[in-house]
Amino acid sequence: MKRNRFERWLQNISKTQDEEISCSECFDLVSHYVDVELSGDDAAARMPQLRQHLDQCSACREEYETLRDLARLENKNELPSSNDLDDLIP
Amino acid sequence: MSHTRTNQEWLHDLKASGVVQEAAIADLRDLLLRAALYFFSRNLGDFRGLSQEEITQRAEDCAQDALIAVMNHLSDFRGDSKFSTWAYKFAINMAMMAARRERWKGVSLDELASSDESHFFDWVLQDKSDGTAPEQSVMQTEVQKIIQEVIERDLTEKQRRVLFMMVFNDVPMDEVVRHLGANRNAIYKMLHDARRKLKSGLQAHGIEVGETLTLFGTSR
Repeated sequence: MKRNRFERWLQNISKTQDEEISCSECFDLVSHYVDVELSGDDAAARMPQLRQHLDQCSACREEYETLRDLARLENKNELPSSNDLDDLIP
Repeated sequence: MSHTRTNQEWLHDLKASGVVQEAAIADLRDLLLRAALYFFSRNLGDFRGLSQEEITQRAEDCAQDALIAVMNHLSDFRGDSKFSTWAYKFAINMAMMAARRERWKGVSLDELASSDESHFFDWVLQDKSDGTAPEQSVMQTEVQKIIQEVIERDLTEKQRRVLFMMVFNDVPMDEVVRHLGANRNAIYKMLHDARRKLKSGLQAHGIEVGETLTLFGTSR
């Protein structure tokens, strides 16, 4: 087990709460979280349980990061077309 | 083709019939395909050995599956986000599962589920040769023993398996879900319960977990 993964795991243990929301609840709320964040508001402060789940769950966190970056591109009218994205695949 | 519908227009058009609905579905499908391709373009390492055509086909499959999911969940859309943001997450979810499935196909998870945790701290022992202070070394060993004790004594067999796969061997959650025939919520709960037991176990020995970060992070 790599050191950085172990340290991350210790952090996760340290921040464990007795009650944590599930992946389904996270999925349900994450689009709202992303739009709040992209509007400039402090999404983590407004939705702390969701933030906590994202810190703990690598799968949900990866989906959130992709969603956030995609939504940010769309907001700037820079969303790549299907052809553009196809070109990125070697 | 326009993707500039308001939320209300999306819902109206997708629930309509005829050419209005067809156009909305086509536009939605294009958005979902772009989301799937975007995820794949960030995770090309999961597709080693596949041609561009094969990867693109997988993206199209994800977009189609996501389209079905979105249509089936239209009544769940609360309007607290942009419709496109809400819809993208279905495609990203499908794309992630597809990518991880491709990367991990052919890998036996049975072996990873029964890893021997005695190798878990090997790197800690290696670090001791770099001049770790004796007191720090003793504390590291103490924490290691407590963690091992909790894992062996307090975790259920399933919790141990999930811990070994995901935390020790970095197996993605969706692959663990598939391997155990479970779902994400169940796997997350197992890890959550395991974390709670580990936190309690360390605290019972007077160790605040946050302090262990310094203990293991400053041995150099």
